[in-house]
Amino acid sequence: MIRIESLTKVYKAAQGDIEAIKNLNLEVDDGEIFGIIGPSGAGKSTLIRMLNLLEKPTSGSININDINLTELSSVNLREARQKIGMIFQHFNLLSSRTVLRNVAFPLEIAGVSKKKRLKKAKELIDLVGLGDRENAYPAQLSGGQKQRVGIARALANDPDLLLSDEATSSLDPESTKSILELLARIREEMNLTIILITHEMGVIKDICDRVAVIEEGEIIEKGSVFDIFAEPKTPLTKKFISAVIDFNLPPGIVKHLKEERPGEMVRVSFVGEKTHQPYISYLVKHYSVDANILYGNIDEIQGVPFGTLILDLEGDLENVENSIAYLKSEGLNVEVLDNV
Amino acid sequence: MFDLVSRLSQYNNLMWSGSLETLYMVAMSLFFAIVLGIPLGVLTTITRSGHILPNKYLNFILDGIINIGRSIPFIILMVAVIPFTRMVVGTSIGTNAAVVPLSLAAIPFMGRVTDNAILEVDNGVIESAQSMGASPSQLVFKVLLPESLPAIILGLTLTAISLVSYSAMAGAIGGGGLGDIAIRYGYQRFQLLIMLETIVILVVMVQVIQRIGNLIADSFDHR
Repeated sequence: MIRIESLTKVYKAAQGDIEAIKNLNLEVDDGEIFGIIGPSGAGKSTLIRMLNLLEKPTSGSININDINLTELSSVNLREARQKIGMIFQHFNLLSSRTVLRNVAFPLEIAGVSKKKRLKKAKELIDLVGLGDRENAYPAQLSGGQKQRVGIARALANDPDLLLSDEATSSLDPESTKSILELLARIREEMNLTIILITHEMGVIKDICDRVAVIEEGEIIEKGSVFDIFAEPKTPLTKKFISAVIDFNLPPGIVKHLKEERPGEMVRVSFVGEKTHQPYISYLVKHYSVDANILYGNIDEIQGVPFGTLILDLEGDLENVENSIAYLKSEGLNVEVLDNV
Repeated sequence: MFDLVSRLSQYNNLMWSGSLETLYMVAMSLFFAIVLGIPLGVLTTITRSGHILPNKYLNFILDGIINIGRSIPFIILMVAVIPFTRMVVGTSIGTNAAVVPLSLAAIPFMGRVTDNAILEVDNGVIESAQSMGASPSQLVFKVLLPESLPAIILGLTLTAISLVSYSAMAGAIGGGGLGDIAIRYGYQRFQLLIMLETIVILVVMVQVIQRIGNLIADSFDHR
């Protein structure tokens, strides 16, 4: 288990101190994929780099399996780092080494014999699906392939924890998808804990179990990915989600609708088996309102269906309100959109 | 034309031994540049602030040594170190004596070239090795030097070529080599042809060194 307690990072600057991370607390369970999302400058990169002490915390502690990294001597820290793999946005492979020797590099540092480390490196290269490229140099590989090498390299010392610093941010959508699938697969196969930072909600949605939203050095929202998607609380989180599930209507349409008809526009989100229920037709039959579907989407988050509908409910104000109350009573999440 | 060749050919032995002397001086001082200049450069880089072993004082001293060494004109350095040269090789005349000032010039030169080459190594690559638990010495020998090897080899080539021209200057104070021949035969005895021949040999020498340097650097460059 990873336990981060009152972690603070202050950068000294000429204009005064800059608090990049403010008294941050976080626990990550074993075998979990934990995502940290935030806008650029929020401190997420500082945070993940402190987890293996590439960045030295100003105060606070980082406990990995009950070892406090901040108290280790430099020799012991080097040893502890061998059990923490890390992958990077720009891959950071050694250009002078072949794929095979890049993957074997952490083992070389750890002092593993040449025969053993080459054997292990070959297994890992097969695991990430680069079996035929072991003698290529990084410059001869595509971005996605380079990140596969990065992942194989990060796994060489059988780490307990894998840190991912924007690992898919410089990849095209296709490669991003395959790298995320690979990360999800190795988590299953190796029972690895993964902490990743990203600015893309898609990454969180695709592979994370839990997520923390970070803004100006503080966690402003935290929870299971499903809960966060179903009920985002802060404007920032809503903004991130809308990048993946876009329920913003074109302004022209909104204007048109508002001018012509009495009624309310509502966003209804529904989860799990509720996606199978015919709420809308019930609504129309029993509350004498007309429901105009402006937007509809069903997604799947962590294997659970998750739907969003934007309805334009037309009719008497009372009927409309009753129908909204009905939807709420059925356990759906209803939000009246005043200023779309 | 035949006449010209036959007139020059009587100096073949002289030219041959002059070339060998030049190559000997260049090779010897290049050896010291590698053995002392590269470590000087590595230490300078890694003690910079923000690098792997920051040390303000050591960096100030090393950087100072490089700058001072590089700012003294070679012709002055050569004369100034004569007492030191006598102490080391017992004489201030001849190729061995010339190797001393040549090395003293080549070491800081190579130091700066190495410093620049190593600074070019991407910080992210250094960090990734640190994240794997690499020690400072592993970072130097497994990351910094291998990653900057092509640039260091090109720097060595540059140093070698500077040494060819410096060694010609060493001829002026009795250092031997092609420079010595150019001055004694070409300048003092007005034998223009000898002068031209030494220039041609020097030009060819520089061309060959650059070609070889490029080839070796390319063979290590996988970027």
